[in-house]
Amino acid sequence: MSSEYVLEMKNITKRYGDNTVLSDVSLSVKKGEIHALLGENGAGKSTLMNTLFGMPVIHNTGGFEGKVLLDGEDAHIMSPFDAMQKGIGMVHQEFMLLPGFTITENIKLNREITNSNLVSRILGKNLESLDMAAMSSDARKALDSVGMGIDQSTKVQGLPVGYMQFVEIAREIDKTGIKLLVFDEPTAVLTESEAAQLIKVMKQIADSGIAVIFITHRLDEVMAATNSITILRDGKLAATRKTSETSIVELAELMIGRKGEAVVETDKREVPHEKVALKVRNLKVDMPGERVRGIDLDVYEGEILGIGGLAGQGKLGIPNGIMSMYDVAGEVELFGEPLKLGDTKTALEAGIAMVSEDRKGVGLLLDRSIEDNIVFNAMQIHGDYLHKIGPVTLKNAKAIREVALKMIKELDIRCFGPLQNSGTLSGGNQQKVCIARALCMNPKFLFVSEPTRGIDIGAKKLVLETLVDLNRKQGMTVVIVSSELQELRSVSDRIAIVSEGKLVDILPADASDADFGLAMSGIKPSEHKDGGANS
Amino acid sequence: MTKSKTRKILSGILLILAVICLVVGGINLPKQTGTAGEDILQDLRVQTLLNATGDSVVESYVAIAKKEATAKAKEAGGGMAEIRDAVAKAEEETREKYSNAETDYSQIETSGLKSAITVYIDSIKDYAETEKTARDAYIAEHYDEAKAALDAKHEQMLAAGEEVNADEEVVVDMSGFEPTKEMEEKQAAAKETYKGVGKEVQGIFPLLDDAALETLEGTVEGILYQAGDNFALQYDRYTANGAKNVAGSAKVLRYADDLLFTAIFLIVLAALLLYYELLVAKLGMPRVIIGAFFVLLCFMCLWYDLSLSTLLSNTVVRMGMNAIMVLAMVPGIQCGISLNLGLPIGLVAGLIGGLLTIELGIPGWGGFFFAILVGSVLAAICGYLYALLLNRLKGDEMSITTYVGFSIVSLMCIAWLVLPFKSLKLRWPLGTGLRNTIGLDNTNFRHILNDFLAFNIGSFTVPTGLLLFMALSCWIVWLFSRSKTGEAMLAVGNNARFAESTGINVDKMRIIGTVFSTVLGAIGILVYSQSYGFMQLYTAPRQMGFVAASAILIGGASTSRCKISHVLIGTFLFQGVLTLGMPVANVLVPGSTISETLRILISNGIILYALTKSGGASRG
Repeated sequence: MSSEYVLEMKNITKRYGDNTVLSDVSLSVKKGEIHALLGENGAGKSTLMNTLFGMPVIHNTGGFEGKVLLDGEDAHIMSPFDAMQKGIGMVHQEFMLLPGFTITENIKLNREITNSNLVSRILGKNLESLDMAAMSSDARKALDSVGMGIDQSTKVQGLPVGYMQFVEIAREIDKTGIKLLVFDEPTAVLTESEAAQLIKVMKQIADSGIAVIFITHRLDEVMAATNSITILRDGKLAATRKTSETSIVELAELMIGRKGEAVVETDKREVPHEKVALKVRNLKVDMPGERVRGIDLDVYEGEILGIGGLAGQGKLGIPNGIMSMYDVAGEVELFGEPLKLGDTKTALEAGIAMVSEDRKGVGLLLDRSIEDNIVFNAMQIHGDYLHKIGPVTLKNAKAIREVALKMIKELDIRCFGPLQNSGTLSGGNQQKVCIARALCMNPKFLFVSEPTRGIDIGAKKLVLETLVDLNRKQGMTVVIVSSELQELRSVSDRIAIVSEGKLVDILPADASDADFGLAMSGIKPSEHKDGGANS
Repeated sequence: MTKSKTRKILSGILLILAVICLVVGGINLPKQTGTAGEDILQDLRVQTLLNATGDSVVESYVAIAKKEATAKAKEAGGGMAEIRDAVAKAEEETREKYSNAETDYSQIETSGLKSAITVYIDSIKDYAETEKTARDAYIAEHYDEAKAALDAKHEQMLAAGEEVNADEEVVVDMSGFEPTKEMEEKQAAAKETYKGVGKEVQGIFPLLDDAALETLEGTVEGILYQAGDNFALQYDRYTANGAKNVAGSAKVLRYADDLLFTAIFLIVLAALLLYYELLVAKLGMPRVIIGAFFVLLCFMCLWYDLSLSTLLSNTVVRMGMNAIMVLAMVPGIQCGISLNLGLPIGLVAGLIGGLLTIELGIPGWGGFFFAILVGSVLAAICGYLYALLLNRLKGDEMSITTYVGFSIVSLMCIAWLVLPFKSLKLRWPLGTGLRNTIGLDNTNFRHILNDFLAFNIGSFTVPTGLLLFMALSCWIVWLFSRSKTGEAMLAVGNNARFAESTGINVDKMRIIGTVFSTVLGAIGILVYSQSYGFMQLYTAPRQMGFVAASAILIGGASTSRCKISHVLIGTFLFQGVLTLGMPVANVLVPGSTISETLRILISNGIILYALTKSGGASRG
């Protein structure tokens, strides 16, 4: 039985416990077409693909509802190996190559062409000798088909990143009987010309009759390469479109959408812009997974600046870089004074405080009490809350208790008392402890990184209100880095959108969904309007 | 729900049992020394006495029967062979008849005998006391002589390279002891009273002649009186010597103290069951298990009449001598190098300090503090280098520290052989190198802390100086952890990324913690040595790091967090189980070398158990 569609996923619903991550999502891919799968982080793209590949994480958590059809037939895909057998291939975002092996060996890994020999006749198939000539010619063919002229006997080690991506693709193409190939953000690590080359290869593959699912957040590439588009938003199907019938602006709008009401109501006001509090020039941060590739940014005194963008694009690298948590280069001026990068202590002493996005990993001493956590920085950096007896210093238990109780009251930290271990608090209360610690430093400038990650809605509101309060009443300059655009829009004066380690644009909080969508996919909205569609 | 219910019911039953034991034991215990106890003992004494004398009566009957048989056979005109057979037969029959005959003591009027026995016991007691005073006086007179002789012997043994038992007691040679006049008088008086007893016995067994009674005197005396008698001892002795007719109430009376112990044990057990969840939550499973084991050992010590207070006193001493080494784990864990199994670095440094003290002959407190100073400086230097190594190998500290510990011990095995020490107290008398075990004496710092302000409560010795030193060290470590640097160090251990984000120099804090730990190790081994009386070189320090690590783990620390209380609890439990476990094992399996095997089993078992629990107690 044949069908128009190579792959049909019908009404897929997946729950992790009470948390529904996919609800009633359908996806259909025709033979020989390139189908884009779009969505923000957490929209459900990965879960959908995990379902398709029968990943253990799906089956171990109770499976899913709905049907997966391959060529119109019910496919029970129970494992990634099963998926491979049924002709589904994946080009991973992180390369799965053995660096010490040649390209041929990598392409043919575990599918080697072998000749039987004397030993293997006695001791079994595992000892057959490799037919290097045949393997080499197969690899050559595959490489040619992705347009790579490189010698197939080169070792993978030391190849440019773009080449590795093509080797991965070549490996998938070399598999016989492949029907469907999934590209998971393949262009994220490629240069522009490499990306163009990849899209060309993708089209070739599609022309040879293989269906392609193209996961990306670059809308211009989607417009350039694909035939049809499925957009997910918050685990639901937002829309399915034919590429020829849509526009980049519509896609951006569909991706972002309006997610309910504003979390916090703030008064509209004139955006402060008299004095620059933080001047960043050509900031480069080597934070794994959140690389910053040269950002210029001015933060005005007294404003709340939001920094948004998709995960892995480098927005988290900005505060972490300025606090010198990772290797960093560039020029930073704080209130007109140059700030030496590379030493966290200098930044703290200069009056910058940061609430880390990694609450449990970086933000808290989980085994210590709330009060110890709250005063820690002030004690270490300013030498507050200490008795000094000659060269000996001792904790001033009374002063610590006072300030801890004050903070617990002001920030409404729900706890049994200042001696409770911070590790036993709920996420929201832990976040408040982190903020309390930053406040104890009396900072002039506050970085808050992902302040609402993993905390419930009530705590979210309180945390954001606290930040707004600090800004309005004490005039503290606050930079909030968050993946939740809605949240940024409700509290920030301006929002900087970062993509691929670079600043795309700074938008006012009330800019349109389409503008944000475009910016997140790396297109400056104003330029888009000027220059028309890139497709 | 049901589980806790079962536990409640069980603990209720145990409590009821405990109350019964408590009441019965409590009522009966005072009776042991009262008239009731005396009556029972008196009754048993009579039985034992009659039993002992009865044997000789049987002999008399046998003699008579033999004589008669001989006469009869002669009359019948039999030859030698017949006579012999007849005599043998008569002897056999008579023995059969009398030895199996149960004497019905209730039929015998014993009141006279009883009063005679009382008089006799009083008189031998009187004599024994006189003899004891006389002997004590003699020992006091000759003690110094004997001590000098023993010291000379030890000196000689040391010079010959033999190991010396520091706990060897001074024994005064009693061969020169002459009975005093008073003693002789008392002895004569006792003999006189014995005649009274003899007369009464003869009244019961008319067959006994004076000569037989005379030979029995020693036996009777041994049965009726021994130095340090109490109810239980006498009871056991009499029943062992043939007193069979024991009333049930007497048995209860005998075991009254054990009943009380059982009661206490049952109450502890019931409380444990009742508050099981709370205890586990508060202390963590390992401490509950080992604590319960310790309580069980205490109980067994009481049950087997071992001197619990002496054993507990030993436990306290061993806790004090080991505590500093366990304390050395604290800065290590706090600064994030987890368990400092490279502790032998510190130990070796401390030992060198101690050796230098002996070499230079610095006596007393000065010597001890000199050793600590030298040891600490050496430990600080070595600890710093060790810390640099650890900073380059973050993440695998456990295996690195273990190997460093082993390596330093092996390296020092060579060093001990070549270090140019001159003192004969340290060197082998022949060849080169230092001795395996170096005995400390009063000219060095032997027991300098243990004996400082030490006092006794009964047989429980409180090593005040040792405990004070332990408390002082703990206090200093605690204070340090509350200083700015200490806080920073703790943060590094707790969460290195957090510390970095606060601008703390992680490597520097790890160096501080490692150096502190190593220095504490050096002080720890000196405290250990002064209490033990020896400094052990060569492979001896190899295991000590593990012992210290286990103790703190048992105390409830994990490889990443610990408190001073963990040190104290852990050291007490570890050393307690070890100290109490061996004598109990010796009683359970007597006459074997099981105790040494068991010592190794217990100590290594605890280490293994502790390491499996390195996750530590739940967050409190």
